[in-house]
Amino acid sequence: MDITLEKKLQGFQLVAQEKLQAILCSIPGKKELILEPALIKPLEHVCTASWLKLKGIQRIYKHDAAQSMPRAADQVHIYMIRSFLATFTTLLQQLQPLALAEMPDISMKMYHIVCVPSCYSYFQTLLEQMGLWGLVQLHHYNWDFIYFDQGVLSLELPNLYESVYLQGNTSPLPPVAQSLRLLQMVCGHPSVVLSYGHHSAQLVEMIQALGKLPDPTNSAEYGAWLIIDRDKDYPASLLTPAIYAGLLLEVFQQRSGEILVDNSKNKISTQRVELLQGRSQMKGSAQSPKPCSIRLNSTADEIYGDNRYKHFAQVSSLIRAQVKALGLELQKLNDMQLEEMHDYVARKLPKLTELKSKVLRHLNASEIVIKMMGNFRKLQTLEEDILNNVSRKKLLGEIDELLTTDGQRFNTLRLLCLLHHCVGVAPEELQMFARNYCNLVGHQELSVFQRLGQAGLLPPLLPEKKAPTKLLSNLPLPKFQQTEFQANANRLRLLTSFGDGQDGGGSSKNQASNTQSCPSFVFNGTYIPLAAQLCSILLKSSNADEVSSKLTMIEGLTVHLDSGKTSPKAYATQLKTTNCTHQDVFPLKLRNLFIFIVGGASYAEIAACDFVAKLTGAQITVASDSLMAGSDFIAAAFNN
Amino acid sequence: MDYQLDTESYWNRSSRAAFSFDDEDEVDLSPELVSNGILADDTISEASFDNSATLNLSIKSLLSEEALKLVLQEQALDDRVLPKGVSPEEELKMLRRQLQSTLYSPNLEATAQKLMQGKPAPLEMFKSLHEKQQLLDTVLAQGGHAVIAVLLFLKRTLHTQQFHGILRERPKALEQYLSYLRESGDLSSHIDLLQRFGRHQEAALKQFEAALSCKDANTKKNQLQRLVEAYATAGVGIIPLYEQIFHSALNMEKLLEKENGLRKTLGERPTPIEVLYACCQANNNWKEQDMSKPLSPQRFAADQQISPAQYEWTALNERAQAQAYADLECIFERVPSWHPLKSKQFHISFDLALAVIRLYELQAPSTVLQLFLSKMGNSVEKLALAQRVKCIKAVIDAMAGLKQQQELQQLKDTLPDRSEEQFYCENALKSLQSKRWTTDNIKLKL
Repeated sequence: MDITLEKKLQGFQLVAQEKLQAILCSIPGKKELILEPALIKPLEHVCTASWLKLKGIQRIYKHDAAQSMPRAADQVHIYMIRSFLATFTTLLQQLQPLALAEMPDISMKMYHIVCVPSCYSYFQTLLEQMGLWGLVQLHHYNWDFIYFDQGVLSLELPNLYESVYLQGNTSPLPPVAQSLRLLQMVCGHPSVVLSYGHHSAQLVEMIQALGKLPDPTNSAEYGAWLIIDRDKDYPASLLTPAIYAGLLLEVFQQRSGEILVDNSKNKISTQRVELLQGRSQMKGSAQSPKPCSIRLNSTADEIYGDNRYKHFAQVSSLIRAQVKALGLELQKLNDMQLEEMHDYVARKLPKLTELKSKVLRHLNASEIVIKMMGNFRKLQTLEEDILNNVSRKKLLGEIDELLTTDGQRFNTLRLLCLLHHCVGVAPEELQMFARNYCNLVGHQELSVFQRLGQAGLLPPLLPEKKAPTKLLSNLPLPKFQQTEFQANANRLRLLTSFGDGQDGGGSSKNQASNTQSCPSFVFNGTYIPLAAQLCSILLKSSNADEVSSKLTMIEGLTVHLDSGKTSPKAYATQLKTTNCTHQDVFPLKLRNLFIFIVGGASYAEIAACDFVAKLTGAQITVASDSLMAGSDFIAAAFNN
Repeated sequence: MDYQLDTESYWNRSSRAAFSFDDEDEVDLSPELVSNGILADDTISEASFDNSATLNLSIKSLLSEEALKLVLQEQALDDRVLPKGVSPEEELKMLRRQLQSTLYSPNLEATAQKLMQGKPAPLEMFKSLHEKQQLLDTVLAQGGHAVIAVLLFLKRTLHTQQFHGILRERPKALEQYLSYLRESGDLSSHIDLLQRFGRHQEAALKQFEAALSCKDANTKKNQLQRLVEAYATAGVGIIPLYEQIFHSALNMEKLLEKENGLRKTLGERPTPIEVLYACCQANNNWKEQDMSKPLSPQRFAADQQISPAQYEWTALNERAQAQAYADLECIFERVPSWHPLKSKQFHISFDLALAVIRLYELQAPSTVLQLFLSKMGNSVEKLALAQRVKCIKAVIDAMAGLKQQQELQQLKDTLPDRSEEQFYCENALKSLQSKRWTTDNIKLKL
C-alpha cells in the first residue's frame, strides 16, 4: 500500500509513542509521572494524558525545581526532564535525601529519570558520584521529529543553538543524528546528501557511525537531503520577515507549534525597559481578556493555512475583509423566517461561530503585530541598507537611536549582529554601542558581547596594543575588503535589491511586482534565504556539472554519496573523467527534498522553500531542531 | 499495541480530557501537591494533538519489524543483558569476546559508538596514556557528549598536569570542557581553567558576573573593588570596554551605598538608566543643575558615561510622566561650547519626531507639542506629524509655512467659533495675505 509523504511524516508520532511505551512498560509498579513544565507542550504532540493513563501512569505532576515531591512507599516516581546538566544535577540533589532516607531496596527501583532527548553518557558517572547508583535508574527518550504543519518538522530541542554555536559544545548533536537516521528508516535513503558547514558534515558522519540500517520497507521519498549550519546563513534568521507566520513568531511566544496571543505582554514588549515605555502601553495590562493560542497548523486552522506564507500587509487586509463578511453573514439571521432560522441555527451557525472566533483571534494577533512592529517600513529600509552596505555611518547612528528610543533588548543587538555579519563592525564601534547598551540593560550583560563574538556574530574585543600599532590602524585608510557574507551572497545571487540610491522611490513599486516571482518576497524583496536558493539549484540543474558550476567557490559544501564524500566540483569532474555521466544523480529522479537546518530554522526560510517547491512542482520538507525568530537567537546568548 | 489506536471514538474522547484526570483518589493529595499537579492546572492544554485519529496509520506501514526492534533496542540504556535462546556455544563465544574487550584490548570504535548512543561503556581498560589520547581523539572527531564523558574519565585517571597538557593541545576539547564547567555551575574551577589557559579576559568577565550577583551590597562592592584593581595591574592587556564597565559598576555601587534613600526606591540590580531615572525624579532644580551633587542627573550621566541621547530621552520620559512639562525646555537647552557667552540654543540628540510622538503618548498638552514641533525644519513632515498628534496650532504653523491658504481656510471653518485655535488660524491667514506681495512671490510670478 502507498502512504503519502505527509502521512509518513505525521507517522513519527506513532514511533514516538512506541518508544515511550517501551520505557513506561519496562517499569513495574504504581507509576507517577513528574514532568518538567517545558516538556508538556511538545509531549502533547506525542500522546494525550489518557494514553499515558492507559500505560499505567496514575498521576502526572509538573516538576518543580525548588520543591521536592514526597513519595508514598508503594509508588514509583518517573521524572522526565530535558538533558541539561544543570537540571539533571538539581534533580539528583533533590532526590538524594529522599532516596537515601528510605530503606535502599535495590531490587525495586523507585526512582526513574527519563532524559529528553538523550541521556548523556557522563550522567551515569554523575549518578554514581551522588551515591544514587542503583536507587535511580536512567532512561533516554527521543521523540524525534514532531510534525508541526505541512512541510514543517521540529525536533523541539531549544538549547541546541546555544550549546553548539555559542559554547562550542556538540553534546546535543548525537540525538539529532539518531532522529535523522530514523527518518532514513521511514522515508528511505536519499541518493545524495549535501551538507554545508562543519556541524552538518559531522551529523552526516554520525549517522554513518551509528551503524547500518535494515532494508527499508517503503520506497524512498526524498531525492536529496540538504543539511545546513545555521551560521552559514544568519541573515535568513536575523532579518525581519515580511510574511505572516514569520511576524507572528517575531511578536508572540511560540510553544511547540502554537503561539500564545496575550494582549498585555508579548515577546517585544517584554524586551523593552519598562520605565521608558509610553503610558499607553502600560495601561493596557489592566483589563485584558484571557490569552488565547493559535496553532500554526494549516489543517487545524484554515485561516492560518491560507495566509501563513503571504505578505503581512496582504494578510491583515484579508483578515479584516473576512471579519466584515462574517459580520454580514450573521446579520442575515435578523431577516429570517422562523423556520429558516431553525435550520440555520442547527446547521450553519455552529460552523460560523467557530470560524468567527478563529478569525477574531487572527485579527487580534495581527493588530498586536502592527502595534508592536512600530515603524516597520523604516526598519526594512534599514535592513535593506545593511544588506547592501549603504552608508555605514548612518546605519550605526540609526541603530543607536533605536537603542535609545525604543530599547529592545534583543532586537537592537540583532541589528548590530546583522550589520557585523554583512559588512563588519569595527571593535571601536562595538565599544560605543556596548557602552550605551550596558547603560540601558545593566552592567551584568557585559559578557553577552563576548559570547556573541564567539559565535562570530560580533567582532572579538581584543586587549589594547601598544600605541604605534594603534595609530596605524586608526589611519582612515579606505578598506575594500569584502566580507565572507558579501562574497558568498554574490556568488549565489542571494541579494535581490541593490542599494544604488536612485531607486529610493521606485523600490516599493519594484517590490510589488517582484512579490510573487522570487522567493525573496519573504524579506520584502531584498534577500533570498540560502536554503531556498540551494533548493532551486538542486531542483533545476540537469547534471552534476551545472550544480558544480553554480556552487563554485563556496567553501564547506560537501556531497555525500554512497561511495563516500566529495566536493561538488570533484564529483562533476570524476563523472566526466570516468565517463559515466549516466550515473549522475542529477537531475534528481525523486523531486522531493528534505532540508535540515542545524541550529533553528525561521519561517521566512520555510516560506521561501515552499515557494520554490510550488514553482518547481516538488515537495520540500523543512526540519530543524527548533523554530526560532531572530530575537530568539540573540536571547540564547543571555541564558546564564 | 492495538489498543492505542483501536477506535476513533477513543481518541476523540481522550482529546478533550487531556491532562485532566478524573481521579477518584484525589482526596489523599496534600494541598501543595494539588497546586503542583497538572490536574489542578487548567491553563494547560487547550488544544490536544490527536493526529492519530485522522492518520489511520499503523506503525507497521512505517517501519519494518526489524527496524522497530532496532530503534527500541538503541533506546534501551542497558544492553548488557544476554539475549535469550542462544545456544551454549554462542553464549560462550559472546562472553569470551566481552571478556576480551573489557580486560585486554579495548575496542575504540565500539566504545565511541556506545558513548554516542548514550550507553554506558566501560572506559577503565584504556590504561596507557596513548590509549587515552587515542580515545579522546576518536570521540573528538566524532563530536557529541562522548567528549565530555571521556574528558571526565581522563581527569579522574590522570595527573592534573597531564590532563591540562592534553587540553592544551586540543582547543576543541578545552571548549567542551569549559562548557561543561559552566553548565555545572562550578565557577571557581571555571575561572581557574580560563586563567590557566591564558584567557584572562573571559576570566575577568566571569569574576565580574560573580561579583554583581552578590546579594550583600558590601561584599559586592569589595569584590568589584578587588576586580578593578586586579584587572588594571594584571598586565595581561586591557579591553577598554571592560575597564570602563567595571569602573562604572563600582562607582554606581559606591554612590548607591552613600545615597541610601535612592537604593530603596530602586529594585535589585538597577541599571544605570534606572538610577538616572530616579535621579531625575529626585531632582528639583532643572534650570541650573548643581554639578557638584553626584545625584544631579547631568552629573550622574557624565559619571556613568551615559550618552547625551540616552540622558535626554530618560529625562524627557521622566519629566513628562511627572507632568513637569516646564522643565522639558531646560533639558534640551545647551550653551554652545564654542561660544559660552552666546544665549542657549535648542539641541536634541535624536529624531525630533520621536520626541513629539512619545510626548503625545504621554498625553502632553498641545502647547508642549507645539514647542517641539516648532523646532522642525521641514514643513511637510511637520504638517504630517502635527496632524498625527492632533496639535492644531502646529498644523496651522506648518500650513502657513507651506503657504496653503485654502487648506487654512478650510481648517478655520471646522474649528469651533471664538476658540483660541480659530483666532490663531485667522492670524496666520492674515499674515499670509499681507505677505502676498513679498519679493519671492513676485519672483515666482515672473
